Amino acid sequence: MEYRHVQVIDGKGALHGIAVDSRGQLYAAGDSGIKIFDGAGRLNARWATARPALAVAVAGDGAVYAGELGRIEIFDGAGKLLHTWRDEKLLGRVTAIGFTQDSVLAGDAADRAIRRFDRSGKFLNNIGKDNPVNGLLIPNGVVDFAVDAQGVIYAANPGKHRVERYTPGGELLGHIGRFDGIDPAGFTGCCNPTNVAIRDGIYTTEKAGPRVKAYDFSGKLLAVIATDLFDVNCKNMSIAVGSHGRVYVVDTVKAAILVFEPVTV
Amino acid sequence: MSEDLTRRTVLAVLAGGAAFLVRKANGQIVWQVNAARCINSRLGDTGVEACNLCTTECVVALSAVRAVNEYAKCGRCNICPAYFNISSAVNELGQPSEKLCPRDAIARKPIGKVDPEDPANNFYEYIIDEEKCDGCGKCVLKCKEPLGLGSITLRVRYDRCVNCNECAILRACPQNALVQLPIGQAL
Repeated sequence: MEYRHVQVIDGKGALHGIAVDSRGQLYAAGDSGIKIFDGAGRLNARWATARPALAVAVAGDGAVYAGELGRIEIFDGAGKLLHTWRDEKLLGRVTAIGFTQDSVLAGDAADRAIRRFDRSGKFLNNIGKDNPVNGLLIPNGVVDFAVDAQGVIYAANPGKHRVERYTPGGELLGHIGRFDGIDPAGFTGCCNPTNVAIRDGIYTTEKAGPRVKAYDFSGKLLAVIATDLFDVNCKNMSIAVGSHGRVYVVDTVKAAILVFEPVTV
Repeated sequence: MSEDLTRRTVLAVLAGGAAFLVRKANGQIVWQVNAARCINSRLGDTGVEACNLCTTECVVALSAVRAVNEYAKCGRCNICPAYFNISSAVNELGQPSEKLCPRDAIARKPIGKVDPEDPANNFYEYIIDEEKCDGCGKCVLKCKEPLGLGSITLRVRYDRCVNCNECAILRACPQNALVQLPIGQAL
């Protein structure tokens, strides 16, 4: 499978997390708040968050969740603040947000864990903490994960060079990935992949050097989507996959979102 | 400018210089590597070769410069790019088969609750043997962000440095990375 680079969306300012909704709108979390771009990359809306937004996710009902230091802010699609979940302990530094059918998941990089809450914000359980190192190994300082249609959670565990699969209850189901500094099918460096997305397969980004790849669910490498288009000092490059397999990746140095499309033969 | 003012300025400069020399003679002013200038640790420079002028130019045998790991910043990774040659073939443990340091000056040991079956399931401490390290900078370059966390830097060791008036490393260093500092700031 091959991909081609089709677009650059200028984020203008620090960019941390991105998400795509079912209509193909792109949401970007940055220091100044949330920005929404249409499919052509035009800025449709923007609003400020209380603190710099480190993650963004869109729920099935259209509510926009912004992850921040010590809190999650929940907005409607027009940017009206609906709720704020504050918890300095459980939401120390929220760098990823996702949803299962009945719960909200938040990646807390301060404690190297994924928190699971019910829809009202009541804490249910941790994911990724029940191991000898008491959490995900994230020397890069970001917890990132994605959730598939069955509610299985795919968490990047860069210190182990793996993407781990968990149940919402926190049970480890297995993993894909291994270290390899030569074979592109492996993850290189001290700690990769840093970010992950799910659609028809598993999509990952790596740092040093920046690399975007696609795997099938068994862990077989399908494509190296891009390597040399990003600033070499990029790290923690958030990734999202939209309809028709469009892949969106943040260049954290240039504060831009690069868009890739699969090449149809 | 009046002659009196000029005279006072010259005297002040001379007095300042004399005070500096007295402090230097008393070991209160010392040489140190400025990590923000050193190309091995300076952020932004990627894809460069490690600079080993601290090894080759220092008048002290094996150099007065050593690599130092700041444990509070270290990620304690299983695959440490400063310890392993991460471009070498992977061995049966899933780790690189070669070490990076040409003098084998870095040791590692698992710390905390150790999982003997899965090496990736542990934290590791990386300890630099200062009797072996010659400050070549290879590990510093590989520890630099974004590949590492920048916990390893080159430092002048005062028990080895002879405090030359003109540092031989500085003479050769294209980055002017050797600086003189009051000892309190240099530690």
